[in-house]
Amino acid sequence: MSFLDRRPVQWALGLLLGAVFIYASWDKILNPSEFARIVYHYQLIGPSRSLGPLPANLLAVTLPWIELVVGLLLATGLWRREAAAVAAVMLLVFVAAVGAALARGIDLENCGCFTVTGTGRAAGLRLIAGDLLLLGAAAALAAPRRRPLTSAGPAA
Amino acid sequence: MKLALRALLIVAAGTGLGLSWNQLSGRGFALDRNVLVKDGDQIVEAAAARQRLEKGALFLDARPVEFYEMAHIPGALPLPEEEFDGAFARLEPRLRESLEVIVYCAGFGCEASHIVARKLKERGIPAAILHEGWPAWEDAGYPVRAGRAP
Repeated sequence: MSFLDRRPVQWALGLLLGAVFIYASWDKILNPSEFARIVYHYQLIGPSRSLGPLPANLLAVTLPWIELVVGLLLATGLWRREAAAVAAVMLLVFVAAVGAALARGIDLENCGCFTVTGTGRAAGLRLIAGDLLLLGAAAALAAPRRRPLTSAGPAA
Repeated sequence: MKLALRALLIVAAGTGLGLSWNQLSGRGFALDRNVLVKDGDQIVEAAAARQRLEKGALFLDARPVEFYEMAHIPGALPLPEEEFDGAFARLEPRLRESLEVIVYCAGFGCEASHIVARKLKERGIPAAILHEGWPAWEDAGYPVRAGRAP
């Protein structure tokens, strides 16, 4: 059994990641239109002439609640692997979105990670590095747990 | 298989809660509405904006100056949102004598034109916002100009 498979480590990672996701969801849930504004700034799923504002608005109203559900499950240990898998996908998509915005020269003053009102965290390489750490934690929780081999000795 | 199914259930639960909250909480908004457009914003389509350009409307480019220099609407003046105070001080006399002002920026998701138009309004200068901004103008095949000169 590896270090990451130990029960206390799994609980600690779950609580940490869960707390991050719950905290990340809160301000967005309370201010959905402000979060939509930030989603627009990424210029990935609209608004655009072909898409209109609907896809970006849908993401803005549903993503924070998915974060909250994932956070609660991770923190409580219920469906932890599944919640961690969803968290890993969300973090991966987020890292890709920030990378795409940076590559296109879009200046994201507020990444929309934790706060959507007032001054937030700017999107940059430090943000990506922090998210990759969280992604590592999510991947560790989502990976199948390796059970110790039972050492059944030769029959006497 | 069980993992994928449960993961889908998690996403579905979050999606359902989000849509319900948006509908019922009183904090939501219409999903077909561009949230950058606030009450009182005056929006003008590219075709109408071009007609107004020919009638002498003053266009303001709210994008960073580098984008203005790459290409802008002929006659437009640069008024970048992040340098608003300095640029406004320089342009104020011209703005106050203009009968009509139209602001644009980098497109549908760009907020700079909305912010600049609201700041102008606060200073007593009504300004319209070009719907979908620079891409709408460019895609319509309307004239553009490169360089620092308006």
